[in-house]
Amino acid sequence: MSTYLQFAVIKFRNKMAYRFDYLLGILNTLLSFVVYWSIYKALYGGASEVDGVTFSMVTTNFIISLGLSSAFHKNEMFLQDKIKQGTIANELLKPVNFKLRMLFEDVGEGAFNVAFNFLPTVVIAAFFANLSAPSSILNVLLCLVSVVLGYIVLWQISFIVQSWAFWLFNVWGLITIKNVFVNILAGAYIPMWFMPEWLRNVIQFTPFDSIYFTPVQLYLGELQGWEILINFARQLLWIVILYVIGEFCWRRGIKKLVVQGG
Amino acid sequence: MKDIISLFFAYARTGLKTRFQYKLDSVISTFAVFFREAAGIIAMYLALLKFDTINNWNIDELLFLFSLIFITYGIFIVFFMALRDFSDWIKHGVFDRVMLRPRGLLTQLVLCGADWLAAFGHGTLGIILFIISANRVGIEWNFGMAVYYIVVVISGVLIQGAVFLFFSAISFYVVETNSLKEIFYWNMRKFAIYPLSIYNKFIQSILIFVVPFAFVNYFPAQFFLRKADMAAYPEWMMYISPIVGVGLYALAYAFWRFSLRYYKSAGN
Repeated sequence: MSTYLQFAVIKFRNKMAYRFDYLLGILNTLLSFVVYWSIYKALYGGASEVDGVTFSMVTTNFIISLGLSSAFHKNEMFLQDKIKQGTIANELLKPVNFKLRMLFEDVGEGAFNVAFNFLPTVVIAAFFANLSAPSSILNVLLCLVSVVLGYIVLWQISFIVQSWAFWLFNVWGLITIKNVFVNILAGAYIPMWFMPEWLRNVIQFTPFDSIYFTPVQLYLGELQGWEILINFARQLLWIVILYVIGEFCWRRGIKKLVVQGG
Repeated sequence: MKDIISLFFAYARTGLKTRFQYKLDSVISTFAVFFREAAGIIAMYLALLKFDTINNWNIDELLFLFSLIFITYGIFIVFFMALRDFSDWIKHGVFDRVMLRPRGLLTQLVLCGADWLAAFGHGTLGIILFIISANRVGIEWNFGMAVYYIVVVISGVLIQGAVFLFFSAISFYVVETNSLKEIFYWNMRKFAIYPLSIYNKFIQSILIFVVPFAFVNYFPAQFFLRKADMAAYPEWMMYISPIVGVGLYALAYAFWRFSLRYYKSAGN
């Protein structure tokens, strides 16, 4: 385990080297947030709440879902590049689990981005955007746990699509399409509360709302007692299901893999 | 002139051939660009099912507004891709090669590189949005209106071209301009897609005076739609997009010519 943790730590440190990129990253996240904040400010048109959803809840929803989706952005061409260049052969020879290593490197990068991109953005946004305070310290902790679980759900979806690089010439298009689905259905571009009824009913049966919306609900204290457990259970269930699918694609892919030269 | 047109087609033919070498991949990638750009629109559509209008713009009017930014980008990227990636050209010394050829520098840059993937993705999206909305927003289309629409599309292309020409000229001094582009083009474009009036005064001023995206879609759309929120701006702003386009481009061109003197090759 400590080996894999090292991968995360190294990635975390690597990220610290690029100072200017990092400032630019905060600006990017902040401006995306400002766009959606402005849109919903205009949509609310001064009303304090719509369907029982206050404007500060909407703002909080966007800072968490849009902010995290920006922080969790990563190089999703990683596996394809390894396959195309044939370096995956060397990776497979190493005495580490390639998939786990990939996960930990991404977690290292994600952790860096949460600490140094997401949190600064939240602090700056708090000056003008009237964010909701968390309903209690416990809720913040529950939210943090569900962010980690949500990240793993997101990571698995990404891994599944990335693994199609074993069969396809180029997965860039499919990854881009996948990201549109994730960003809309997970509520990064439109708060889950305002989705049409039929769409929300569909989303219930997908992993998407367990990525950002469960953390949002926990932070706002919208879930009580059993509901908290059910939502955590849903996140875990999706992690298991997606893991099985990902593992299936990965094993089939490795079997099929032919590396030319190298 | 004939020479230039044939040069454009020669470049376009090779460009398309290279890009569409792998047919299925190209189709999927083009659709991906289309879908990625449509994401914000889909989210807006879903939101308006609940809220009906944003600053009194209904969904059809918004689609009309969106169409301008995507159509102009689709055309813009056919001609100005080389300028978008110009700092790379300097870094890798490709610009030296351009200088040795017997045609104008900017002519070559404008003609040679087209991002066909983006052109088709953005272009089709813009055209579809236009087709959906054009007859549902109460515009009485006649010859004059059609001509003005084409004029504002060209102006929009020139405005964005001018912005990139400025950045390219700056590359002569500092080479690396990707961050500048990220801040002043890509981020501003995120704002520019939606109606100008939803933003605070500071962001509005940037979009009018600094990176004048407002003249690419918002003010031209106001000319056609005459929404109430136009009252916050001087009326003549609806008419000056062509002047802004040509003026800004001329200014950018002058700056480019001036900066060219300071070019030092980065190659070896």
